[in-house]
Amino acid sequence: MHVRTGGFPVLIMAVACLPAGTGPGQTLSTRHRNAAMPEIPSKDDTHTTFRYPLRWRIMDALNGGLDRFWPARMSPYTGWALIMPALLLVGVLVLGLFEMADNSLHTLDRATFRLSEAYTLENYQTVMESATYGRVITRSVFAAGLTVFFTLLLALPYAYIMVRTTSSAVRKALLVTLFLPFFIGQVVRAYGLLIILGTTGVANNALGLVGIEPMRLLFNFPAVVFGLVQYMLPFAVLMLAPALTAIPRETETAASSLGANWVQGFRHVVLPMAKPGLIGAGLVVGTLALTDFAMPAMLGGGSQDFIANAIYDQFFRTADQGLGAALALLLVVLGSVIVGIVISIFGAGTLGMGNRK
Amino acid sequence: MSTEFSRRGVLRAGLATSGAALLSAMPASRLLAQEPEKPSEIIVRAWGGEWVESLKNGVSDRFTEMTGIAVRHDLTEDNEIQPKVWAAVAQGRVPPIHINWDTTTNATKSALRGVTEDISDLDNLANTTDLAKPVGLEGYPLVNTYGYVYVLAYRPEAFPDGAPKSWRDLLDPKFKGRIALYNDGIGFHFPAQVAGGGSLEDIPDNMDACWDFVREMKEQNPLLGEDPDFTTWFQNGEIDAACTISTNALAAKKNGVDLAWTVPEEGCKFDTDCLWIPKGLPDNELYWAKQYINLALSQESQQIWLDGLGLPGVVPGLTPPEGLAGDPSYPTTPADFEHLIRISSAVQVQNESDWFARFKEIMQG
Amino acid sequence: MTARSQRILFWALVWFSVLILSVPTIIVVGASFTNANMISFPPEGFTLKWYEKIALARDLRQAFIRSLIVSTVCLVVSVPVGTLAGLALSRFKLRFVNAIQIYLLLPFTVPLIGSGIGMMLIFGEWRILGSLWPVGVALAVINLPFIIWSVSSSASALDGDLELAASSCGAGRFETFWFVTLPGVMPGVITGGLLMFVLAMSEFLVSLLLTDARTVTLPVQIYNNIRSIITPDLAAVSSVFVVIALLAVWVLDRLVGLEIFLKSK
Repeated sequence: MHVRTGGFPVLIMAVACLPAGTGPGQTLSTRHRNAAMPEIPSKDDTHTTFRYPLRWRIMDALNGGLDRFWPARMSPYTGWALIMPALLLVGVLVLGLFEMADNSLHTLDRATFRLSEAYTLENYQTVMESATYGRVITRSVFAAGLTVFFTLLLALPYAYIMVRTTSSAVRKALLVTLFLPFFIGQVVRAYGLLIILGTTGVANNALGLVGIEPMRLLFNFPAVVFGLVQYMLPFAVLMLAPALTAIPRETETAASSLGANWVQGFRHVVLPMAKPGLIGAGLVVGTLALTDFAMPAMLGGGSQDFIANAIYDQFFRTADQGLGAALALLLVVLGSVIVGIVISIFGAGTLGMGNRK
Repeated sequence: MSTEFSRRGVLRAGLATSGAALLSAMPASRLLAQEPEKPSEIIVRAWGGEWVESLKNGVSDRFTEMTGIAVRHDLTEDNEIQPKVWAAVAQGRVPPIHINWDTTTNATKSALRGVTEDISDLDNLANTTDLAKPVGLEGYPLVNTYGYVYVLAYRPEAFPDGAPKSWRDLLDPKFKGRIALYNDGIGFHFPAQVAGGGSLEDIPDNMDACWDFVREMKEQNPLLGEDPDFTTWFQNGEIDAACTISTNALAAKKNGVDLAWTVPEEGCKFDTDCLWIPKGLPDNELYWAKQYINLALSQESQQIWLDGLGLPGVVPGLTPPEGLAGDPSYPTTPADFEHLIRISSAVQVQNESDWFARFKEIMQG
Repeated sequence: MTARSQRILFWALVWFSVLILSVPTIIVVGASFTNANMISFPPEGFTLKWYEKIALARDLRQAFIRSLIVSTVCLVVSVPVGTLAGLALSRFKLRFVNAIQIYLLLPFTVPLIGSGIGMMLIFGEWRILGSLWPVGVALAVINLPFIIWSVSSSASALDGDLELAASSCGAGRFETFWFVTLPGVMPGVITGGLLMFVLAMSEFLVSLLLTDARTVTLPVQIYNNIRSIITPDLAAVSSVFVVIALLAVWVLDRLVGLEIFLKSK
C-alpha cells in the first residue's frame, strides 16, 4: 500500500484519543486532549520551562481563531463560506458577461465603427434569422454530442484497464501516454494531426501500402470530431478513473460467479457504478467541445465552423462586437441549458453533488 | 545568399546617407532643442516570418541604429490586436503598441473609429506617390506603405498547359477540393464579380454576379484558410491553386515549394497595407513613433523592406527585387495596373460585414 | 478480467487510444530534427540546428519564464479556491445546488474568446492589464471546474465517519480539516493542481487578449508564430516541453507515486 504524506497524523490522533475513553459523538475541547497525555504538564503551569510543541500551539491558535471568526453556530453556512471564493472568482467572468450583454444590445455603426447609442434586439434577430448561424449552431451541438459519445467509448476501456491492470508498469505507461499530450498545446497537436492525416501524410502512406488510393482525410466534419476526441480523451480518462477505482473488484467477481457474462456484468455492475464518472466526464467534454475554436479552425478547412469560430469572426474580423457578444451569450445560454437538463435528469456525477449527509 | 549580400550592402550604403537624410529633413534647432525624451523601446505590431524579417532589416534595425531606441515586434495578428487597441483607447489606457502595421481596410475602421493619430506632418510624405494617401479619409490617419496583389498562385505541374488564363479555369472538375481561398473571401470577391459576368461599376450595389461565381466555386469544395494555411497546403500537396497575396507565394517558393502565379484575364484585387499610430501614447513616445514611420517612408528603408516582401512601394525610384521586374505581382506602370482591381477602403469597410455574411452563408452550407 | 473477448475488445480500444494520443507527439518531436525549413514528416535529414536556435532565442526563454510565473499564479489561486469549493459541493448540503453547478461550469460554457474579451474589458477598467498576475488569475478562472471536479470526486469517496471520529477524539475543526479531510482529498488536489498548471502552460486564446508584447507568454508566442509560418523551431519548443513533462512525471512518480491519480480515497 502506498503511504500518503499526511496520512499518519490521523493514526496518531486515533491512538491518542484511546486512553481518554471518549465515546463517539462526544465533542471535546482541546483541553481534554492534553488530559489524555498526563506526562505533559498543563499549560497553566508557569514554573516549568516546558513548552508545548509548536505545532500544537499553532493548531490551538488556528482552532481558536476559527471558533472566534466562524463560531460553531455558523456551521449551517460553512458550505457557503467554502464555496464563496469560487463563486467570486467565477464572478469575474460574470462581470465580463454583463459587459457583453450590454454590448449585444447595440448595433454597429459602420460610419464610426462604434456601437450605436440606442438599445435594440437587432443583433439577436440577425442571429435568429440567419440560416448560416442556424447551421453553425446545429453543427456545434451535433459535434459536441458525437465527441462525448466517442470520447467516453474510448475513455471507459482505457480507464478500466488502467485501474484494473495488475501490472504497475502498464498502469504507469498508460498514465504517461495520457499526460504527455497535455504538454503540447492544442494548436501544435492539431498541426501534428495535419501532418499525419494529410493527403501525402503518414496515414495515407500506410493506406497506400495496402493498395488504397490517397484520399482526403482532413478538412471535413469527421476530421474535426476526430481532433476533438483526441483532445478530450485524457480529460475523460482522468475523470473516469476515480469513479472506476471506487468499484470494488469483488462486486464484479460476484456478478460473474453468479453466472453473468462480462457484457452483462459490465452493463449491470460497472456502468451503473461508473455513472457519476461518466456524467462528470460527459459534461466536461461536452461543454468544452461545444465552445471549441481551434479544432474546427485548423482541421475543418474553413467550412466546418463552430459557434466559437463565428464569434471570433465577429469580434476580430468584421469588428462587430455587438453581434459577437450576442452570439457568445446565446452560446452560454445554450450550453447552460444543456448542462441544466443533464444535471436535473442524471445529477452532476463526479462534478460534486455529494449530498451524502 | 546573393540577395542577403546585396541587402546588407544596401543597408550599409543606406545608413551612411540616410542618417543625414533624417537629420536634414528636420531643422537642426528642432532636433537639438526640442527632441523629446527617448523611450527605451517602441513596439511595432508586425506579421511574423518573412514579413517581420524584412521590416526589421529595412526599418527597425535602421531606426535603432539612428536613434538608439530599441524596437520590439509584437507578432499578434492585425485583426486580433484591434480589439485590444480599441479597448485601451476607450478606457483611456496607454495602448499596447506604438505602431500598427495593418491592412488598409482594417486600419480604415480604426481611423473611422477615431483611435488613430494624424501623421500628416511627416516630412517624408512629400516624397511619396498617390498610393500612400488613404482614400476617403481626412488627412493622414494612416499612411499606405506598399501595394500588393491577390494573385492566382498555382502549382505548375497541375497546369501542364501553362498558367490558368481565367478564374473560370479553376472550375475544372479535376480541381475539386484542390483550391484554396481566404476564409473571409477577401481578395476573391472582385475578380469573382467579373468572372461571374458582372461589372466592377456595380460594386457594391449589385454583386449577384460575384455570389453566383462564389456558388459555382463552392461546388469545387475549396479549402478556406489564412496565409500560413496556404503555405502549408501547397507544401503538403493539398491544393493546386489559391487566391493569395503574392508575398506568401514568394515565401513558399523560397522555401522550396514549386509555385508560380499569374493575373488572369478577369483581373486581381490590388490593395495596400499601411502604418498607423494609436491614440493615447505619451507625447515623447508619439514623437518617436512618428519618426519610425517617417523612416519607413524613406527611399532606403522602402528599398530594403520591400525587397524582402517583393512588393511595390510608395516612393519613386525603387529598384524591383531580382526576378520581379515586369512580374504581374509587382505593378509599377499604368499598363501593369490595367488588370488590377482597386476598390476604395471606404467602400470595403462599409460592406465588409455583408460580404462576409454572404460568403459564409454560401461556404458554410 | 477473465473473458477473452472482453480482453481483446478492451485492449483493441486502448491501443487505438494510445495510438491517437501519442502519434501527434511523436510526429512533432520527429519534425524538430528536420533539415528542411518547414515542418515535415518523415524529417528530411537530421539536424539539431533548431534546438540551437531556440537555445539562443532570448525572447523564447523570457516567454517561457513568464509562462512559469503565470502558471504558478494560476496554481496558487486555483488550488485553495478549488479545493474549498470541491469540499463544499461534496461534503455540505447546499441549497440551489443545481444552479451553483451551472454557475460553476460557466468557465466551460462561455467560449474562450468571450471569456478573454470580457476579462480584457474588466481588467482594463481595473487598470491591472500589463502585469502578469492577472493572466494567472484569468487562467485560474477559465480552468476552475477541473480542480473543483477532481477535488469533489476525491471527497465524495472519502468516508465521512473519519472526520466524525477525529472530532470525537477531540480534534478541533481546523485540525480535522487539516489532518483528516485534506489528506483524504489530496489525490484530487494533486491531479487538479497538475491539470491547472499544465493547462495554464498551454492556453493561448485568453492569454493573447490579456498580454502585450512585453508580457507575452510562451503559448501566445507559439500561436503567433504558427500564424505566420510553421518552422521546425516550434516543433523543437514542443519537444523540449515533452522532455520537461517526462521529467516532471518521473519526479512525481518518485515523490508520491503516479498511482495517486487513480486513488479515489
